[in-house]
Amino acid sequence: MTATRTTRARTMRTMRALPAAVHAELIKIVTVPGVWICAAVIVALDVLVLTQQYPRNVEMLASLAADGTVEVAPGERRPSTDAFLFLLVSALQIAPLLPVLGALIAGQEFRTGQIGLSVLAVPRRGLLAAAKALAAGLFLFLVAALLSAVDTVFVQLVVADWEPGLPFTGEAFLWRARFLLFAVSFGLAGFAITVITRSTLAGVIGTVALTMVTMTQLLARVAPAVDALLPYSAARNLMVSADDLTASPGHAVLVLAGWALLAPAVAGVVLARRDAR
Amino acid sequence: MIEISRLTKRYGGTTAVDDVSFTVRPGRVTGLLGPNGAGKSSTLRVLLGLDAAGSGTALIDGRPYRELDRPLRTVGALLDGAGPVPERRGVDHLAWLARSNRIPRGRVREVLGLVGLGGAARRRVRTYSLGMRQRLGIAAALLGDPEYLILDEPWNGLDPVGIRWVRELIRGHAASGRTVLLSSHLMAETSAIADDVVVINQGRVVAQGPIDEVTAGHESLEAAFFALIGSGR
Repeated sequence: MTATRTTRARTMRTMRALPAAVHAELIKIVTVPGVWICAAVIVALDVLVLTQQYPRNVEMLASLAADGTVEVAPGERRPSTDAFLFLLVSALQIAPLLPVLGALIAGQEFRTGQIGLSVLAVPRRGLLAAAKALAAGLFLFLVAALLSAVDTVFVQLVVADWEPGLPFTGEAFLWRARFLLFAVSFGLAGFAITVITRSTLAGVIGTVALTMVTMTQLLARVAPAVDALLPYSAARNLMVSADDLTASPGHAVLVLAGWALLAPAVAGVVLARRDAR
Repeated sequence: MIEISRLTKRYGGTTAVDDVSFTVRPGRVTGLLGPNGAGKSSTLRVLLGLDAAGSGTALIDGRPYRELDRPLRTVGALLDGAGPVPERRGVDHLAWLARSNRIPRGRVREVLGLVGLGGAARRRVRTYSLGMRQRLGIAAALLGDPEYLILDEPWNGLDPVGIRWVRELIRGHAASGRTVLLSSHLMAETSAIADDVVVINQGRVVAQGPIDEVTAGHESLEAAFFALIGSGR
């Protein structure tokens, strides 16, 4: 009875301390110029890619046929609505850079021993780990939302004279939700690998490796069930229309949610169990 | 009161702290002395919850550090090897620390003024001299106006003015009935302000008590220290 009461009191204290700890972590994130530079580079690359693709997207709309299809690639026609909704997640091309941002956010702790100060300020490791993951997740979400907004502007520029309401339909918001889930999950994967290895470089290399495994399609051929568990593969399974997907969209949502929850949880356990160095 | 009892800490196969016990009393300055690698910093790290103890206890106000609510309001610490991110501004470094313990933002400017960094608050830490970084670390320790000050090598990088300022700060803190535990290599500075000393060598306490008792029969704290650790160098 007393033990239960003590546990409950401790949980209540932790919950009360969480908002301040998250706020402190957000201050850490937004006061390091490198984080802003990385975020700006990611957004700028998205703008650059979309600018390059803009004429092609205009041509795609010009290819609109009476049956409602457009030519998405030479000889390949798709329903126009599907084709333009997919453009709302054009930032998928840039998204492999989001784990770099996650790694930068996490890595600042280990460069000069700041982790020692963090533990001095928030000595309950579980609380510290939760605050770190929540703050990183929130910042990644905001950057991903900005990417999504950029994608929306470029789609709107193309479809304004044809179907101006297209980027604001329920289905359009569902596409954005899929992208945001992936972006935050993958960013948190970079964050978690960095916390576990205490190295920004290892976080970057780890997530690049995860991306490369998906892009080479090797694992998809050899062990599709394992491939489906990788975050970039899950994004493909969730958002790309193809015959050679390794899992259903529902499976992909579960995988991405799993990465978003489990990767920071494992990092939190590691952070809690070892000395703050 | 700080109570360290039968504390042991190992890193791999190396025993850094071996069955260490001592008490730090309020209203007094306690100096923790020892050569490099003696176990001073490891003892402080375990006391502050950064490293887990192998065995034994380290308590502040009767509780482990990690059980303190808003710990910066109880304990202010300056630790070697736990520094700010160089790209961050000094004021921002203190801002996140303050926010984490719900310390009013106004206190940040107050302590920056107190340590003489008011004019450099908006500069990035990488542009600070070693002495300015040390002052920033002391500002962080003072942020919560704590009952306890735990300072690891507080005079590092400070000029004579800074050294005197830290000396007065420590004495003033103890004079107000609060508790100071400091670790240092500087015998002259330590002997000038410490009421009690704990001498550690190779992870074990080799002497402790009021400074007059520890130095009895020796011409200085330095002479007593070298006699205790068995080195005339």
